[in-house]
Amino acid sequence: MQQLTVFMDIESSRSYIDELYSPDAAKVVEALVTLKNSVIGSNRQKSSVIQQGVVPRLLQLMSDESLDPNIRLEATITIGSLAKGTAENVSSLVEQGTATALVELLKTAPIGTKLTEAGLCALRSVFMHPPAPIASLPADMRLLTRLTQIAREGSPTARACVVRILSIWCCGAGEQEALCAANACGAAAALLAATPAAATALPALDLLAAMCFENANVSQVALTTRHGDKTIPELLTTLVCRDKPLPVAMGAARCLTFMHRAGALPADDNRVVFGALPCLARLCTKEMPEDIRASAAETLAYLAEVDTSLQRLAAISNHLMTSLADIVNCQSPAAKQGAFKCFASLGANDEDIRKRIIETHGLMVHVVNGMNNPEASVRLAAVRCLHSLSRSVQQLRTTFQDHAVWKPLMQLLNDSPGTELLTVGSSTLCNLLLEFSPAKEPMLDQGAVEMLCSLTKRPEAALRLNGIWALMNMAFQAEQKVKQRILCCLGTEQMFRLLGDSDTQVIMKTLGLLRNLLSTRHHIDAIMSEYSSQVMQAVIVVLEGSYPAEVKEQALCILGNIGDGEKAKDLIMANEDVLRKLVDYLVQASEQSWGPTSTEYVSRAIQWAIDEAAEGAPGEQAAGGGAVRGGQPGVARRGGRGRAPGAPRGPRRAARAQAAARKARRRASARQSEDGSGSV
Amino acid sequence: MSFDLANNGNDKEDRKYYDRNKGDDLQISRTDMNMLIMNYLVTEGFKEAALKFQQEAGLQEPALCSSLDERIMIREAVQTGRIPDAIAMVNALHPELLDNDRYLYFHLQQLQLLELIRGGRAEEALAFASATLAEAGANDPNALTELERSLALLAFPDPHASPFADLLLPSHSQKIASELNAAILKMENQEYTNPKLCSLLRMILWSQNELDKHNIKYPKMTDLANATIEKPKHGRRL
Repeated sequence: MQQLTVFMDIESSRSYIDELYSPDAAKVVEALVTLKNSVIGSNRQKSSVIQQGVVPRLLQLMSDESLDPNIRLEATITIGSLAKGTAENVSSLVEQGTATALVELLKTAPIGTKLTEAGLCALRSVFMHPPAPIASLPADMRLLTRLTQIAREGSPTARACVVRILSIWCCGAGEQEALCAANACGAAAALLAATPAAATALPALDLLAAMCFENANVSQVALTTRHGDKTIPELLTTLVCRDKPLPVAMGAARCLTFMHRAGALPADDNRVVFGALPCLARLCTKEMPEDIRASAAETLAYLAEVDTSLQRLAAISNHLMTSLADIVNCQSPAAKQGAFKCFASLGANDEDIRKRIIETHGLMVHVVNGMNNPEASVRLAAVRCLHSLSRSVQQLRTTFQDHAVWKPLMQLLNDSPGTELLTVGSSTLCNLLLEFSPAKEPMLDQGAVEMLCSLTKRPEAALRLNGIWALMNMAFQAEQKVKQRILCCLGTEQMFRLLGDSDTQVIMKTLGLLRNLLSTRHHIDAIMSEYSSQVMQAVIVVLEGSYPAEVKEQALCILGNIGDGEKAKDLIMANEDVLRKLVDYLVQASEQSWGPTSTEYVSRAIQWAIDEAAEGAPGEQAAGGGAVRGGQPGVARRGGRGRAPGAPRGPRRAARAQAAARKARRRASARQSEDGSGSV
Repeated sequence: MSFDLANNGNDKEDRKYYDRNKGDDLQISRTDMNMLIMNYLVTEGFKEAALKFQQEAGLQEPALCSSLDERIMIREAVQTGRIPDAIAMVNALHPELLDNDRYLYFHLQQLQLLELIRGGRAEEALAFASATLAEAGANDPNALTELERSLALLAFPDPHASPFADLLLPSHSQKIASELNAAILKMENQEYTNPKLCSLLRMILWSQNELDKHNIKYPKMTDLANATIEKPKHGRRL
């Protein structure tokens, strides 16, 4: 051993780098060992060696199967050490084809040798530096099977490396399926069962989580995969216990969470209710380190996002509310956003929980501050939280008003935000614009109409829907000048464009907007005097087009409203086409081609439209009766049916709509049929 | 509730101190003791002593770690100041270890620097420090302070008489050697990187600390090496 090894700088290293090219194997090995010892532990040496262009030679020595195994091993180890340098070091290694060369090495090197282990360590180091060179590892079945075989049979280090690499590599449905087919679930199960827990279980938990995430198929396989006499969920349940290291418990709870959300474990499964949920609530408490609390809160948010029973259970687990309120105070953006997201999930459906959240002292101030946070992820999470809380009528009228939350929200939405923030933000806006919300007036002054109209022109269906929905809410029982402003700003052209939208929901809400605009006799006449031809055209377009029954029903409701106008009624009476159409529908309605419920609604709507049109001077009584009849189906339907089962926010929206419907029914004063107060 | 409290009070009165000289039912089996000692010998790398002990005590073949021989050689190299040899051996055994734990690597290099200072090779020491140690010092404030302490030795005509002489004592290199030994064991996924005897003693110290915190009088172990236990003078009894 040269005494000089630790002294080396660029000049003195020249000589042994020359030796790398020597034909004498012994000299090459010696040079490699010297090089290795010089680079290990020192980023400066690593950078200097890479700059000298030694990497291609090292890769060549590593890959040449005709060479002495020792040469290949030492070259691989040196590459592995270089991959532990700075981000620039690693990206320059990847540019020179290191990742691909390592994958090639792993294809041929015999399992269980030091060379394989060194290659895996090096590849792991490369993968740990984002962005990982995912493409260098093709989804080739032979290779993946070989890797999962190493994960089952290799040395502890090799197993941990393989699983870590695969957990980073697995970032899409294709990879998930490929790994599942290569029996990665079995390999992960074997590692979960190994002792001691921390070293091998952590990468295995990450791999399992990456594979199960939003993948029903893989989660189902994981559910039944066994190691020894235990299935994966059983192994995970033992890992969430208090005696396990925190990161292990965290990882296991995350896996159970992902398996639940992917549909493999039901919400009332013991492993979710008594395994994942209490563990996550415990990891949120004050005694835990900040990074664990952050990911626990975020995972818990995902676990309880849709299921009301889990939300209720979480809300009473281990003082979770207090823990979360404390996490909001943490400095790191990850912790803040985790807590906001968790609050959002907990309060998604249940009014009592929402009330308790808001009573957590000072939370609203934090939410408002969160919306002004420099970190985009925190802003998004704060808006999510606000959105969830905005489903509460009480909050809209009290806390929201006290803190003027609409100000920072409008500011965020006007500040060219990302699509995700815009979607959540505009959903919140829909709720803030409900007719009983005190924020409605000031938001109008802030240019809400213009912003919403521009939303309806976005390519994303969700944004168009939120835009038109919010406009619809805004027009509900609004003053005439507001209605005029909406009509003027949106423009009839855009309205027709929206009636041809690919998303039925958007069409429904556009017609709903028309209904709400055309209410109150005085307004009807005023608007119809200006836009009669366009409105009638819109109605006819819908009635004659190939729309589903529920859409046509909306058009009929509009006719009903028009019929209530003093002069506007004449427009219907003078329009032979429309009258004939109405009679046609009355005949059609009895046929079973339309569902029994919609038949009933449609025939009611038509009846009503005709009544309105035919009656000479409808008294208060008659018109009021008409409104109730027409209004009920319009609103009640939203809670009742017609939502695609897979729609992401479906259940919540439906639940809210039901509540809104109840409220709407209470508002007996509404004269015309209006499609109001749908909150998102 | 009050009844419970009264009961507890009585228990306290009745409780006796544990008397070392009296025999009692608390039996500690000899095998357990032997296993603890064996664990100490193996973890700390006393291979020959372990084998001898196994013969004399009639124990089963001790579960020697695969790396025991290497660890002994590495410890020897560190304690005799052959740092480059030690580093090379560690790199051969676990190539990733010193890359992952840069602070440990710094400590080894610091030992190398101290060897140069001990040998009175001041210029080489400075050159070595600026060529290799400076990098770690720039990245880690802890390392920087330690580096400054080491280099301060150069300012004294007789470093052994300086305020920083502790760095030159064998105990310093022993400390680093144990640190390295523990890191290697951790790398090999050993459950315990410290001898279990160590943990037992630590537990005693911790319990005593807790008792002290609450101002409770109890027979306190004042000297670990001789297991001397002092009786409490007076005051609240446990």
